[in-house]
Amino acid sequence: MRIYAYGIIDFHNRLEEPIEGLEGKGIYNVSYRDIGVTVSELNEETKEITDTCILEHEKVVERLMIKFTVLPMRFLTVFNTQEDLLSMVGFYYEDFKNNLERLRNKVEFGIKVIWPTDTIKQRIINAWNKSNHSLSIPADSKAKSFLKEKFKQQQIEKEFQEEANRCIAVVDDYFNKIAVEKKLKKLQTENLLLNASYLVDKDRQNEFKQAFEQLKNAPSDLKFLFSGPWPCYNFITLTKKPASVDYFNTEDMLNRLLAQQGFAKERNAV
Amino acid sequence: MDRPIKTIQDKNSYLDLRKQERVTLLEILDRALEKGVVISGDIVISVADVDLVYLGLKVLLSSVETMEHLRGAPMAGAQEGPT
Repeated sequence: MRIYAYGIIDFHNRLEEPIEGLEGKGIYNVSYRDIGVTVSELNEETKEITDTCILEHEKVVERLMIKFTVLPMRFLTVFNTQEDLLSMVGFYYEDFKNNLERLRNKVEFGIKVIWPTDTIKQRIINAWNKSNHSLSIPADSKAKSFLKEKFKQQQIEKEFQEEANRCIAVVDDYFNKIAVEKKLKKLQTENLLLNASYLVDKDRQNEFKQAFEQLKNAPSDLKFLFSGPWPCYNFITLTKKPASVDYFNTEDMLNRLLAQQGFAKERNAV
Repeated sequence: MDRPIKTIQDKNSYLDLRKQERVTLLEILDRALEKGVVISGDIVISVADVDLVYLGLKVLLSSVETMEHLRGAPMAGAQEGPT
């Protein structure tokens, strides 16, 4: 019987409330000193696992969040024995303690900002053409023409990046003073201007939501996707290096599999 | 702390519940597949476990599909309200 782990919590006693986990198994707490790992048993034979499983994982973590500070485990963290599980907790104990302390009474919010790439680029091109009109010298050879075009593309791309920085700064300004920590990912795709995660005190959740309302109602051609409150997935930092390398790296494996099946481009596009 | 899926509003259209669920799934995938406590040790499902290959592909392709929706015109105005 293997053990599926959902999260580390700041509680080392038995869970009073029954919570159902993957495969309908009950969640229980494995204690280590003053913290615990919430787990459920997992059948040896792998069942068909669907999208539902990841939702179930998330549901368990969110149930735990009501009462405890939770460090959510990455989806699909499974141990062969309880000894293996305890060995892992012992190895990372200090890290877990520090994270539990830092993330106490905090939640995560996600904000994705989509901008109209084509419109932005066209605006930049128009501005560039206008400002450089008087300076333009007719290209009298293919080489000059090529270089001119290349230079123009570089300038447009540079301005595109700078415009992205300016927009992100404006968006971030709404939340910066409310959030405790943040992670901003710029232009993961051309349309996805910003993929941001903010760590917020539970007491300031409403303030954060109000800030989003203000941002949403401000005139702009940006589109937003706001989600939360989430467990603090994006703000867990482990200082200790893994003890060994025989773990299942979901991301590496999926990339490898996708490459084999010709899905690499789609994956990278996302 | 279940997160009820709220109506995703768009100036021009209302998205059906299925699409909303997929956006929510994408948000979860963004976090739970790559973030959280990522450890090593005596974990986990072995690389040779063929069934999990299907798990990975299913989950990931859902993610790709959802993102395609997100990037497409009908969902460009999508906004999931805070809960």
